[in-house]
Amino acid sequence: MKIKLFGTHLKNRVLLASGVFGFGLKFKRVTNSVGAIFTKGITAQPRKGNPPPRIYETSSGMINWVGLENPGVEYFCTNIIPQLKKLKTRIFVNIAGFTMDEYEHSVERIGDTVDGFELNISCPNVKEGGIAFGQNAKMASMVVARARKKTRLPLIVKLTPNFCDPLVIAKACVEAGADGISLINTVYATAYDIKKRKPLITGGLSGPAIKPFALYCVNRVRNVGVPIIGMGGIVSGQDAYEFLLAGASAVAVGSVVLRDPYAPLRIIKELKKFIYQETKHAR
Amino acid sequence: MIRSLSIIKKTWFSKNTFGLEFSLPGIKPRPGQFFQVRVNDSMDPFLNRPISIASYSGNRLLLIIKIIGKGTNILSKRREREQVTLFGPYGKGIVPKRQKSILLAGGIGVAPLHFLAQMHYKRKIPFTFLYGAKTYDEIILKASIKHMANRSIFVTEYGSGRRGTVVSAVKGMDLSDYAIVYACGPQAMLIALQQLHLPLPVYAFCEDFLGCGCGLCLGCAIMYNGTYKRICEDGPVFELERIHFEN
Ligand SMILES: Cc1cc2nc3c(=O)[nH]c(=O)nc-3n(C[C@H](O)[C@H](O)[C@H](O)COP(=O)(O)OP(=O)(O)OC[C@H]3O[C@@H](n4cnc5c(N)ncnc54)[C@H](O)[C@@H]3O)c2cc1C
Ligand SMILES: Cc1cc2nc3c(=O)[nH]c(=O)nc-3n(C[C@H](O)[C@H](O)[C@H](O)COP(=O)(O)O)c2cc1C
Ligand code: FES
Repeated sequence: MKIKLFGTHLKNRVLLASGVFGFGLKFKRVTNSVGAIFTKGITAQPRKGNPPPRIYETSSGMINWVGLENPGVEYFCTNIIPQLKKLKTRIFVNIAGFTMDEYEHSVERIGDTVDGFELNISCPNVKEGGIAFGQNAKMASMVVARARKKTRLPLIVKLTPNFCDPLVIAKACVEAGADGISLINTVYATAYDIKKRKPLITGGLSGPAIKPFALYCVNRVRNVGVPIIGMGGIVSGQDAYEFLLAGASAVAVGSVVLRDPYAPLRIIKELKKFIYQETKHAR
Repeated sequence: MIRSLSIIKKTWFSKNTFGLEFSLPGIKPRPGQFFQVRVNDSMDPFLNRPISIASYSGNRLLLIIKIIGKGTNILSKRREREQVTLFGPYGKGIVPKRQKSILLAGGIGVAPLHFLAQMHYKRKIPFTFLYGAKTYDEIILKASIKHMANRSIFVTEYGSGRRGTVVSAVKGMDLSDYAIVYACGPQAMLIALQQLHLPLPVYAFCEDFLGCGCGLCLGCAIMYNGTYKRICEDGPVFELERIHFEN
């Protein structure tokens, strides 16, 4: 199942989505088996994250409002990257920010100590910046162009499906120099507390509930001209295979690891079977 | 660790609380540690449910579950010899101190404290078990608690017997003899207990809605000592005085 993506070899097409596996330093057997890991979103300054409740279960899925809790880029470079280097997988750092300067700064600060970047212009859980860049083609293109100037490493841009056309944004990102597109980030969602008569949580929906929407979005951007990492609700090899059919070169698994941290191992095995079947038919 | 275990015994402790027993050799669990229990193999409910170790003795693991909503309701339909998927044990838990203590349980908070009582009993650490519930029918594990504790007090909010809550009961106690309190119960109880500012350290077993249960998702924040800690990974036992309850 080995593939070459963005000029690097990946063990297989199953990657770990950002934010659901921390920095990949726990469950190392899993981290070392996947093609790559997208780290938890890193911002220029440390962030303590949002107050509880941060997650809420919904039908076949969940809403999260974690709010980019992370130790900041300095701590990340000094304390986390040395540990990441020992992992036997590719590391893509998910970069989040509130201003364009912040994205640029983090990419420059991390330099070429990792395998690539995933620009997160799609986090629904922080007030300003981030997602606003991802909903506007002009701004998206500026963020990408500025980051592009700071790195020669693979630059992937993670898109939101919320209130914008991912195809329009994807095209702008590719023109500005993106090497790949990943999608989808979580879908805007609210759960109500009927006793208090107000929202209990407003955040991003993920899990099997969003899979059909995610497949639609991936298929919509499939001809954008760069490799696509598809994600959203994958829980099985068949789900992963469907994303490949929709135009993705690789897939990322997210929420399912909350339910089963070993799920990626199973999904890799199951996907292998589908790909094997396909090559057998082709012969 | 992921394990698929067969239910060797199912017991109804009250009309909405049941126990599942499994044979599980080779673990050395600490009080406060819990398992992430998969509700079923479908994707709805999507997340696992955290359930504390209520007893571990002779390689037998007992989980006691109160029916609250969808997930625990589905679990209550499981029968003996059926398989249940468990992840864990997760959480740091605590190592019981060799000091005379009070175990203060409210409602289903009795589950993890029963396991702590077992540890105390095995190590011959003296303790008083103070346990409150809404009604008398909801008091479970009474015989076992009476057997292990040096002193046991049961209070209920309604009905005959000693009336009140565990918080009002502990308020009226002479604490000079004790060195430490362990408490588990609904958040309202922990907040009321915190406001008593007892003159001895209180360790709270916290419960909240968890995602992964093992430190991956950052979904379970608790404000402790001015920073967010993970209930699942750093706890679920914290020093009560230092917790800032936000929700
Ligand atoms: C470490 C730990 C140990 C535990 N040990 C035990 C134990 O030993 N025994 C036991 O019986 N229970 C234990 N619990 C509690 C148990 O996990 C819950 O009662 C159970 O998950 C409820 O699941 P459910 O599907 O039945 O209820 P649900 O339907 O999931 O939820 C119950 C209610 O809470 C609401 N709710 C759901 N998510 C949120 C949220 N994020 N914020 C606010 N409200 C929400 C729902 O709307 C519903 O009304 C423990 C919890 C923790 C964290
Ligand atoms: C708890 C949680 C935290 C997340 N954190 C991030 C993050 O920091 N950066 C990011 O780009 N995406 C984040 N995501 C989004 C996922 O990477 C993924 O895009 C989304 O959840 C859809 O995939 P899934 O349905 O398989 O989970 C997070 C998702 C979850 C559930
Ligand atoms: S529940 Fe995921 S980090 Fe605690």
